[in-house]
Amino acid sequence: MDFLWTSTLITILAFLLLYWGLNKWAFGPLFGVMEKRRQLVLEQMNTAESSRKQAEQAMSEQKAALEQARREAYEIIEQARTTSTKQADDIVQSAKSEATRLKDDAVKDIETEKNKAISALRTEVGNISVQIASKIIEKQVDEKAQEQLVDQYLKEVGSK
Amino acid sequence: MRFDIAAIIAILVSVIITIVVARLAVRNLSVDNPSKMQNFMEWAVDFMHSTIASSMPVHKVRPYLALGMTLIMFIFISNLLGLPLLIITDAHEAFPAIGITQEYLDSHGGVAHLAWWKSPTADLAVTAGLALVVFVLVHYLGMKLNRKHYLKHYLHPYPVFLPVNLIETVAKPVTLALRLYANIFAGEVLISTILMLSWGGIPFMIAWQGFSIFIGAIQAFLFTVLTMVYISQATVHDEEH
Repeated sequence: MDFLWTSTLITILAFLLLYWGLNKWAFGPLFGVMEKRRQLVLEQMNTAESSRKQAEQAMSEQKAALEQARREAYEIIEQARTTSTKQADDIVQSAKSEATRLKDDAVKDIETEKNKAISALRTEVGNISVQIASKIIEKQVDEKAQEQLVDQYLKEVGSK
Repeated sequence: MRFDIAAIIAILVSVIITIVVARLAVRNLSVDNPSKMQNFMEWAVDFMHSTIASSMPVHKVRPYLALGMTLIMFIFISNLLGLPLLIITDAHEAFPAIGITQEYLDSHGGVAHLAWWKSPTADLAVTAGLALVVFVLVHYLGMKLNRKHYLKHYLHPYPVFLPVNLIETVAKPVTLALRLYANIFAGEVLISTILMLSWGGIPFMIAWQGFSIFIGAIQAFLFTVLTMVYISQATVHDEEH
């Protein structure tokens, strides 16, 4: 076994040629494809991530919208309830005040009528008693003293 | 000037097989629907990538990936080449151009066995060629990419160690060449020894052929890994010692 430097030289040349050729025709394209696939996977992962985020955002938006709608509905119901309560109160209140007013009016009317009747009656009674008295006593008592007497008497009657 | 025809044939055959295998693997490249061969080749590339990445930072791996793939494929195919058959002719006359000198004939009883088919890596001259490529590459890259630290490492840790470092520098390619050559050559020697057993040697032959495939793979892997480690040592100054 002897060492032939020509073999060494040929090996070096062959290896360099092999490296060059493989790099150009085999590994270059292969690495290119692998890199492209890596990019593709990365891109798809990014897309998946962004669409997941979008879905999450849409989800939370919908949740918020739902919550908003629920709150609004509750508010509307609450408002309706308070409005109706207030209206009922108002109606009752106005009915009550109306009733009170009517009652007061009636009482006042009664009072007025009573006073009127009393004063009419008083006048009538005075006149009648004056006539009766003048008829009975026949001018012994003057009209003025008579009236005074009747008034006093009626006052005593009225106060009782 | 003498040529070893057998070695040249073996080298050419190895190169051709390597190119054919590589071309077959990348015949119909596809990004999203790779063929089986492409898948296998990509697996090999990934394996090579992680192997290189174990000796240097990941982001520096890319430029050496093709080198590593070429090395491991060429050496592995070369190692396997000598396994299946051995073509030997007997030469009875001196033929200096292919290494048969009169003295050789005289010392071997007038007969020279010529092996026409062998692993190229079973020849020290061939493995030396590979080691030389690596040697030149390592020191070129060291000078180009990492000059300051590369030069300083010869004086590390003290200038007194310069001879030791020089011996180490020389020993690296020498061991690289010798290790590969010795493993493959020993394998072929054992194959020819087993052949002397004629039919009785078949079980041994089966076992040893299998083991030789294993050795061929291991040696190809080792050569490549050591190359990457040497490149890393010369170019990455964080990992220098």
